Amino acid sequence: MRLSSAVRVCLIIVLSVTIVWIGTVALFYLSSASAIRNNRPLPAQVAALVSLLEQASATQRPLILRAVTSQSMAARLEPGNHIGVTPKLQRVPRLTARAVDQYLSVLGGRPNSVSIRREGNARGGLGFTFAAPADLEIRVLLSTNETLVVDALSYPVANFFGVPVGFVAGLTGAVLGLIALFALQREIAFNRLQVRISHLVRGRIAMIGGISHDVRTFLTRLRLRVDRIPDEQERDRAVADIADMIRLLDDALLASRAGSGELNEELIDFAQIVSAEVDDRRAVGKPVDLASTAPLNSTILGDRLALRRVIANLIDNALFYGKAAHLSIEADSEFVTLHVDDEGPGIPPDQREQILEPFVRLEDSRNRRTGGAGLGLAVARSLVEAHGGKISITDAPLSKGARLTVQLPLFVAR
Amino acid sequence: MSEAASTVLIVEDDAVIRRLVSEALRNEGFGVEAAEDAAEMDAILVRTRPDLVILDVMLPGEDGLSICRRLHAHERFPILMLSAKSDEIDRVVGLETGADDYLVKPFGPRELIARVRAMLRRGPRVHSPLGRRFSVGSLTVDLDARQVIDAQSAPVALTSAEFDLFACFIQRPRRVLTRDQIGKWTRGRIPDPLDRSIDMIVSRLRRKLDRSSKDANLISTVRNGGYLLTAHVTPV
Repeated sequence: MRLSSAVRVCLIIVLSVTIVWIGTVALFYLSSASAIRNNRPLPAQVAALVSLLEQASATQRPLILRAVTSQSMAARLEPGNHIGVTPKLQRVPRLTARAVDQYLSVLGGRPNSVSIRREGNARGGLGFTFAAPADLEIRVLLSTNETLVVDALSYPVANFFGVPVGFVAGLTGAVLGLIALFALQREIAFNRLQVRISHLVRGRIAMIGGISHDVRTFLTRLRLRVDRIPDEQERDRAVADIADMIRLLDDALLASRAGSGELNEELIDFAQIVSAEVDDRRAVGKPVDLASTAPLNSTILGDRLALRRVIANLIDNALFYGKAAHLSIEADSEFVTLHVDDEGPGIPPDQREQILEPFVRLEDSRNRRTGGAGLGLAVARSLVEAHGGKISITDAPLSKGARLTVQLPLFVAR
Repeated sequence: MSEAASTVLIVEDDAVIRRLVSEALRNEGFGVEAAEDAAEMDAILVRTRPDLVILDVMLPGEDGLSICRRLHAHERFPILMLSAKSDEIDRVVGLETGADDYLVKPFGPRELIARVRAMLRRGPRVHSPLGRRFSVGSLTVDLDARQVIDAQSAPVALTSAEFDLFACFIQRPRRVLTRDQIGKWTRGRIPDPLDRSIDMIVSRLRRKLDRSSKDANLISTVRNGGYLLTAHVTPV
């Protein structure tokens, strides 16, 4: 969530910078285009030069030519008639030639030609002259039978594949901007999707929670009424059924919370809740024991209810299928490990992975005598995994039974 | 006070449960008053003094936890909370509400009556307002006086924002609090994702606490942007 908002901010910045950039480039082009149009009185200059050269003496001519030569213009005289042909299809030479004709008509008209210079900023062939100011060569035949050649040089523009760098930059900027816009739009769509999924998940949890609450209300009524059943055995069975239903509900609620990362996180002494669960069962005479260990650091970060459910499911499973539960806890610097051994027939290696899946029971060796949908171990696994831990099945070292091992990461203060 | 004369007030919104519990209690010889919600309960409390109140957590209108806090502050009868969610237990018997005992639904009548008898035997509570002084590691914190005192009895100077944050941690010790939760509890709103002010206050608070407390790392950072008070909090 934080990363995606950072990405969004970056994209917005890139996008706005790009827009400013495109705007600046466009503004520059618009203003400089009009500046070029206004500040290049080329035809009038040429006409004046023609008139001046024709009237000047032979000694003055080189001076005049030198006087008009600048960065943007070079003029020279060639003896004889060297008038070229104004290309018909190129817009700039054609328009310039028309203007030159107009000015020269004051002098009575002179044969002339305007063409784009082959060398220099000459890229007229592609018709890109609107974007790249081209260098023009203007030839006018003087009355002295000399040809005045004027090279009108456009300001030098660094270019990139025949188009000015500014144009390329603008184009690249526009493309980048579009990509940024697209990415931003996708990012927003993705965020919306995330929000919708999280609403969906929360909605589902809220629904299960609501159902659980209402069912509890009904079961509470039922439980209060059950005490009126005169037959003691029937009454006990009904009470056990109600307890099983509640357990199933709690499992479903816990598993769905674990699956969507909605579990609480608090510091818990794992060894302490294990011994509390063991004590609860010993108090009602169940064959459960916890190997006494030296005091160990078993502080983990997790959901108290979920962890109690994991321990309870493992112990009750061992009691139900394996007659007894022998627990032991150990801890190293990273993990706390709980072993639950039973005295049953054990679980064949090829079925160990399978038995951790929901609704799987080993029917052949363990018949279905009482309630239980085969969710206990699956719920335990999903809760353990939600805590970043592992659950595994091996053989119990001391009996023929199964050993279920839960490993959970210890809390490390930072 | 003889047990037969004891009066139990049950506050429960489900009419059937209310009736069944009332019947079970009457059969055992208790006097029973029943209320559907906080308003009805208040009306009953005006005319009679029960010896014990059974209070459902989830009620329409004012919820059970809030009623419990209110009763605890002014009344001396013991309060038995009924919860439909097993994960509410922590909050019910936590530092804040002052409930004396709880039962998780569904419960049987015998269980209920056994609890009620046990609580009545203990008699009315010695009136003690909910403690607002806590020992946190080597520090002592008084939430009412807004004061933090270190092991050498020297006060630790905290700004108002830092104290609010510390109080928020003390009321929920050893539990991971997300930035959103902290924002909601200390300022009444969920902070903007880019708002780092809570992190800054946490780091300032942490620096001050580390300086004046020998337990280094009183407040720990947890992955995914949460904080947690690692010390045990005990009322003093």
